[in-house]
Amino acid sequence: MRFLLATVLASGTLHAATLDVDVKGPDGKPLADAIAYAVPKGPAPALRKREVNVQQVDKMFVPMVTVVQTGTPVNFPNRDPIRHHVYSFSAPKPFELKLYAGTPMAPIVFDKPGEVVLGCNIHDQMLGFILVVDTPYFAKSGADGKARIEALPAGEYDVMLWHPQLALPAPAAKPLKLRADETNALSYAVTLRPSPPKR
Amino acid sequence: MANPDIDKTTPIGVIDRRTARLQDRIVVFFVGLLMVVLLASFWMIHLTVERTAQKTVRSELEGSARVFKYLLELNSQKFLAATSVLTKDFGFREAIATRDRDTILSALTNHAARINASGMGVIGLDGIVVSDSLSPGSAGKPYPFADLISEAGTRGDASGIRLIGGKPHQIIIVPVLAPLPISWVSISFAVDDAVALERKRLTSTDITFVDASTNPPRILATTVPVSRQADLAKSVAAILKAAPNATRVNLAGDEFEVLSIPLEDARRAPLHALLQLSVEEGLENYKLLQVVMLFLAAICIGTTLLGSIRIARRVTRPIAALAAAAREIERGNYNITVNSTGSFEIQQLASAFTGMTRGLAERDNMRDILGKVSSHQVAEQLLKGEIELGGVEVVASVMFTDVRNFTALAEKMTPTQSLALLNEFLTEISRIVEEHEGVVDKYIGDGVMALFGAPVPREGDTQRAVQAALAVRDGVRELGKRLAKRGLPNPEVGCGLNTSNMIAGNIGSATRLNYTVLGDGVNLASRFEGLTKRYHVPIVAGERTHDQSTGIVWREIDKVRVHGRVKPERIFEPLGAVGSIDRYDLDRLQAWHDALEHFRGRRWAVAKAAFESLSGMQGYGRLSEIYLGYIRDLSATPPPPDWDGAFTLYEK
Ligand SMILES: [Cu+2]
Repeated sequence: MRFLLATVLASGTLHAATLDVDVKGPDGKPLADAIAYAVPKGPAPALRKREVNVQQVDKMFVPMVTVVQTGTPVNFPNRDPIRHHVYSFSAPKPFELKLYAGTPMAPIVFDKPGEVVLGCNIHDQMLGFILVVDTPYFAKSGADGKARIEALPAGEYDVMLWHPQLALPAPAAKPLKLRADETNALSYAVTLRPSPPKR
Repeated sequence: MANPDIDKTTPIGVIDRRTARLQDRIVVFFVGLLMVVLLASFWMIHLTVERTAQKTVRSELEGSARVFKYLLELNSQKFLAATSVLTKDFGFREAIATRDRDTILSALTNHAARINASGMGVIGLDGIVVSDSLSPGSAGKPYPFADLISEAGTRGDASGIRLIGGKPHQIIIVPVLAPLPISWVSISFAVDDAVALERKRLTSTDITFVDASTNPPRILATTVPVSRQADLAKSVAAILKAAPNATRVNLAGDEFEVLSIPLEDARRAPLHALLQLSVEEGLENYKLLQVVMLFLAAICIGTTLLGSIRIARRVTRPIAALAAAAREIERGNYNITVNSTGSFEIQQLASAFTGMTRGLAERDNMRDILGKVSSHQVAEQLLKGEIELGGVEVVASVMFTDVRNFTALAEKMTPTQSLALLNEFLTEISRIVEEHEGVVDKYIGDGVMALFGAPVPREGDTQRAVQAALAVRDGVRELGKRLAKRGLPNPEVGCGLNTSNMIAGNIGSATRLNYTVLGDGVNLASRFEGLTKRYHVPIVAGERTHDQSTGIVWREIDKVRVHGRVKPERIFEPLGAVGSIDRYDLDRLQAWHDALEHFRGRRWAVAKAAFESLSGMQGYGRLSEIYLGYIRDLSATPPPPDWDGAFTLYEK
């Protein structure tokens, strides 16, 4: 396992391409928490087997937006002194972690691609997202609106963009042919849905 | 078009049926005037109070409306809060998340019961009903109140009042958050009479919920009694038109102020709440005022009625008295005095009336004498009131004339002819009297009574009376000649003439007065007329007549004593004016007077011889015969020493 990972990493490093994605919001400002992912045209890449943590800190999901490859187990460690009751009714993975403190015994494995909205039954304001994608090539934009997908093997991809508030329909997949050791850049200007009113 | 009711003139004395009594008119006028004033003030006060009451009621209504709106908001908040809590129930969310219709439906029913909602539904984010406890059949169909969903989409939730199955419901739309909206939940609460009653408790006004989309508008729920609902439904259109102001509505006989409040944006749902307050309640204080005012008005009217009746009586009583007096005058009774009480004008009228009565009476008294007076001067004097017509003592001459053997004349004629003849006589005598400025007092049968020196005494009255008597004598003689030609008997006239003091004036009853003269002298004149038959002379005149006339040749007839009187009266016959008698006749007259002297000197034999010598002479036959008779009697029974030669008249 570790070997395989190393190999991939090595190959990525050696013969890989890089994709720089720049995301801007409707007002032209950099948009954070946008996820860009490249789905190779061909067989789905193998799962990079590693666990991901979505913590609960100060009654918030940290990070709020998480992207994982399909089949990735996700832990929900509770860093707060109080208990949480994390759940999702989203179709890819409805689950419920009844009131717990610390890290639950078993991680939740997200085995279907799609958007999973996370909530806490006792803290209405807690909102988190897990995007489950069929590719290991993804990146999340930072406050500067930039997301860099590295170690992309040369080949053809469909590049997708997702954001929790992305107005529908989402931007169409952008087909992209990547060569090794090449850096490509893509930029998005997206429109967002209004944030849901807080009640 | 001519109005047949209106005559051009109303004859005097004809009472118009429309002519009300003056008294009634006065009373009606005053009371009517007061009524008008009272009504006007009542109306003004009523108007003011009404306006104030209306203002009060309306401001109360507006206050209630604010409370109502606040309640509306509060209620929707309350329902929203309750619903939100409900939709965050994890079990509920889990049930929704199952997307199993039956499970969802049972969860909805269960949760609706928790907050006493009448129904609960789940609507997908796409607006399609997932499940609805009120109408399970609507699943899979678009939710009917898409506007509420859309509002909830932007605002996070929505509340509205909508008709479900024709009944108003407050509908709450909230999202089911997991934690982002996964669907909408609608919860509905029936707005029914119970809700209206609850609102009435809080706003203290009657509440009605109406649906204005139908015609007529439909009452959905109300606290108004059934008896008033029909009228209210009819008035809804007007009430809605007046909004946001209140309007006046009559419901089953009572007045209300009604204000309408839209429950929703009217474009979405034409539902309104009507708040109503009774105007009566606002007018409660006025009721007492009204009673007091009515009481005062009654006193006012009563006082005015009594007062005006009194005034009217004071005005009309003298008028009625005057009317009664006028009726008396109509009957000929002038002996009346009109009571002159009342106002100055009435007193004036009464005194004028009394004056008029007196005037009328005087004129009436004069009417008789006026008819007798031929002289215009005298008539004028009479009319001016310069001649006293009351009982006054006057010195006047009275003449009675009588046509003798008129009966014999009449026998040879038809009644019409004899009457015509009589009138001829009387006309002639009257003409002669008037010619001598005398007055024909009256006709007595076939005779005439004439006055000289009354009612107006003038110089030479007695003289003219004697001349009139002579003229009558001559006139009748002339007439006799004319009659003799027609083969009719010769009429003779007898004429009594006497001058004396007598009472002149109006004599008779109040209704019929005659101006005439009274007194012994008058009776004596009548006696003298009778004596003409005895002495066979045409004229017998009294002593005073004889003494007061001049230029007349007199023949003394006799000395008579009227029964009951002491003093004897010498009687004379005027023969004619001095100069009109021839010598021969004067000689005989002298012889007569000598014989009379002998007789009175008791020289019977000388007297007898003188009378006997005169008895054969024309005009002295009968007189001498009478005296020869006296002498026979006196010779047989000599008279007492105090004999004055008078013959006593016994018979009338
Ligand atoms: Cu929590």
